[in-house]
Amino acid sequence: MALVAPILAASILAAPILAQQQAGTPPAAPAAADSKPTAPVAADSKPAESPVPANESWLTGSIDFGYRWRTGVAGSFDAYRSIVNLGSGPKLLGAEFTLTDPKHRAFDQIHVRAYDWGDDPYSSFHLDAKKTKLYEFNADYRDIAYFNFLPSYADPLLARGIVLNEQSFDTRRRFANLTLDLLPGNWFIPYLSYDRDSGSGNGATTFVSDGNEYPVPNQLHDQTSLYRGGVRFELRRFHATLEQGGTTFKDDQSVYQRPGSTNFGNVLTPVLGRTLDLTSLLASYGIRGTSVFSKGLFTASAASWLDLYGQFLYSQGDSDVHYQQAATGNLYLQNQILFYSSQQYLLSAAAKLPHTTGSLGAEIRPLHRIRIVESWLTDRLHSAGSAGSSQLLSGVGISRPMTALLASSIATNYNQQEIDVFFDATSKLTLRGGYRYVWGDASDAILPPAGLASAEQGQLRRNVGLGAVTFRPSHRLSITGEAEGGSSGGVYFRTSLYDYQKVRAQARYAATASLSLSADFTILNNHNPLPGVGYDYLAHQESLSVLWSPAGGKRWDFEGSYSRSDLRSNIGYLSPQDLVMQASLYRDNSHTATALFNVNLPHGSRVSPKLTAGGSFFISSGSRPSSYYQPMAKLWLPLSKNLNWFTEWRYYGYGEAFYLYEGFRTHLVTTGIRLTR
Amino acid sequence: MRNIESIWLVLLISSAAAGQTATSPNASPYAGSEACGACHEDISNAFAKSPHHLVDLDKKRGWQGRACESCHGPAQKHTESVSADDIRNPAKLTAAAADQICLGCHLNQPTNVGRLQSSHAKDQVSCTACHKVHANGPSGMVMRKASAINEQCRSCHVSAWAQFQKPFHHRLPEGVMSCVDCHNPHGSIRPAMTQIFAANEPGCFQCHGDKRGPFTFEHAPVRFESCATCHEPHGSANPRMLVRQVVRLLCLECHASLPTVKVSRVLGVVPPAFHDLRSPRFQNCTVCHQKIHGSHVDRNLLR
Repeated sequence: MALVAPILAASILAAPILAQQQAGTPPAAPAAADSKPTAPVAADSKPAESPVPANESWLTGSIDFGYRWRTGVAGSFDAYRSIVNLGSGPKLLGAEFTLTDPKHRAFDQIHVRAYDWGDDPYSSFHLDAKKTKLYEFNADYRDIAYFNFLPSYADPLLARGIVLNEQSFDTRRRFANLTLDLLPGNWFIPYLSYDRDSGSGNGATTFVSDGNEYPVPNQLHDQTSLYRGGVRFELRRFHATLEQGGTTFKDDQSVYQRPGSTNFGNVLTPVLGRTLDLTSLLASYGIRGTSVFSKGLFTASAASWLDLYGQFLYSQGDSDVHYQQAATGNLYLQNQILFYSSQQYLLSAAAKLPHTTGSLGAEIRPLHRIRIVESWLTDRLHSAGSAGSSQLLSGVGISRPMTALLASSIATNYNQQEIDVFFDATSKLTLRGGYRYVWGDASDAILPPAGLASAEQGQLRRNVGLGAVTFRPSHRLSITGEAEGGSSGGVYFRTSLYDYQKVRAQARYAATASLSLSADFTILNNHNPLPGVGYDYLAHQESLSVLWSPAGGKRWDFEGSYSRSDLRSNIGYLSPQDLVMQASLYRDNSHTATALFNVNLPHGSRVSPKLTAGGSFFISSGSRPSSYYQPMAKLWLPLSKNLNWFTEWRYYGYGEAFYLYEGFRTHLVTTGIRLTR
Repeated sequence: MRNIESIWLVLLISSAAAGQTATSPNASPYAGSEACGACHEDISNAFAKSPHHLVDLDKKRGWQGRACESCHGPAQKHTESVSADDIRNPAKLTAAAADQICLGCHLNQPTNVGRLQSSHAKDQVSCTACHKVHANGPSGMVMRKASAINEQCRSCHVSAWAQFQKPFHHRLPEGVMSCVDCHNPHGSIRPAMTQIFAANEPGCFQCHGDKRGPFTFEHAPVRFESCATCHEPHGSANPRMLVRQVVRLLCLECHASLPTVKVSRVLGVVPPAFHDLRSPRFQNCTVCHQKIHGSHVDRNLLR
């Protein structure tokens, strides 16, 4: 670690100097020794002129803008916002343009894409700029509304009617990424990157106190910034990437209830003759985190028959937490049968999570038709946390100070070794067979212990057989099938893969130049027969898609797909209140189809309208029967060479058999124009 | 251990030496890119705008004026006979053989460091299945726009695309996310070729930074397996893309209250609490255990 940072810094600082040397160095110079040609340089060493016309337009692209109307949402508006969330208003629906500098001054080309701006639930912006051999710059920004308010997810008072969902939120998450690669195409490429991920908004959560929990407002704000820089050495026979980075994180969530109101929570039944309530609350989280990480990658063409691969990845995150909470009301401490009216709670905590990953592998080609791929992976994650808290419970005649110290740790060591042998039986048939062994251990502990589950250890042992066949009898047909069967001697969780078989088959067939079909089949069968587990899981999915474009789609084309899936899961558990054996049965049998039909409508000499119609539907039965329809139609009408008018209709219909109150349906109509240049 | 290190060192040194002594290919008759463009005009024009055109211009790469032949092999005979039999067509080679041509230049780039774990490579999906070697445009040689990437992936992964049509899904059909936001098509050391964040953390944390921790009190499945233990990452009929229709069953399948922990040796089985699940108050565990991804404050993930 200590060495990586100085090497990296020196490498980045040296980059411009080396680059200048490189530019002025003849091809035989040592710096280019590893980049030596793989074929004789043309006798005529004069650089070929680029045949790109110099008089291309400096600006090309298009912009779509218009207005969207949404009819009234019939049914649950909250469910609509949780799933679709599109609204009315003027919109910048999309913009894509390219700037070209024919003189290649600051840039060769800049590509810009932006979609769905104007209070839409997801907006994005992307920019790529480059100047050959000097830099490549990418910027990406996304703003996604994250709304969830579904009583069926968490409504503890459902027996009393549909009321406030206690785990809901109305937030926006924003992501930005800036990446700069210097000297692309060179043997030595420094790069820098910055990522920012933030979320903010409001929600409803619960303040949990002994004997009751109180729905309260919740303010959320978190932000992660990631900085990284590195250098790539790309030589003819060897590549290495060294990267150093770090993150900063903050989370300032606050949960509150203003004084002056009484919140009776989810429990209206008096406890020992007293009704519990919350009259004020302020709980705030002050969480600050940092992490550092290092990355070293290499690939090497060691010989014509041998390629080597390796990765070393290390990260260490840590967090510091200051949590404070002040609550008043008629509150209750269950294990001491104590009623109190005020609580002051302070907690300081810290956690560290070092995580090391290493991987090595090789592809060996001993014979023309045989390839052997051997890989090994280890992943070690150890986390340790500690928390110290003090609280003061007070009331009439009561002043009860309490302190606690807790320490926690989790650790997992995962290892995997795999060998695959590929055999090209013919130029059209490739067979693969392999074996994977997975082993590891894990532990989870909190001290001092409380209850029965304070320290646990688990082991992972799994033998997996692998097989695959790829058959391409002609350019029109390709069939791929792969199968995997695993047998475990230990897993971490009851629902983990244990004794399983996984099969996937895929076929693609181009029946004619205009008609192509593809089919896909997957099945996963998992079974854990151990006493106390008894898990059975079977899932399969079959899909078929078709693309038909007669005469190259001159008049019309069609693209459609249909999928059917079935999932069955059976596992037992003891109901905690009476320790009676129960079964958790999950069934999901669904049908999904998508279709898109494009028609170039009959037209005059100047106007050639185009109609697109299609959409998707999803219908399921089983544990949560639901349906979701999204038909659409869009009409394009070119008005001039650079101007198109379009109008689009979409329908969203969602229904649930068990939770009828969450269904909704609405129509959206958008109309606008596209300007092109 | 020391022996293994020594073996790797010797292997690396010998491979570097082998690299130094590698000889140039046979001086087969080359025709030059201009000769190719005389017949294959459309391809030649498109190629001229492609990033690969650099191969034609850059002396260092050794294919100056012969970029076409860097992949298709010597073409002099083909120009004379005009026979497809006299030229190498990577599209007609096995995927592995075609990839070897690409990897001749591109192996030694960080993009391919996860290639051994790539199911694309294992299933003979060649580079040209996604990359258009001759073409150019705002997308370069591969799709860049999210909706175009998704369209390309779904042409093979029909079943995966169907899952995105379920009501609760990541925003791929809407075009604000793409498959490559979560998956690395070139391969990754993580399961299902998922992306990696900050050196070796799950790619999910790229967007869900608030779930990243480290937490004082972790929820073990998040670290020991993955988010997919509880969530269907593509899409689900269940709210919050959960793998079960109601929260309590999802929790109880692990926290099964069974006293057989020493037999099955799985984690989280012993009774964490004795709530009466017949009460609506206890039927959605996350109403109280709201910090289910891990808590900075409470060992029971209550706040």
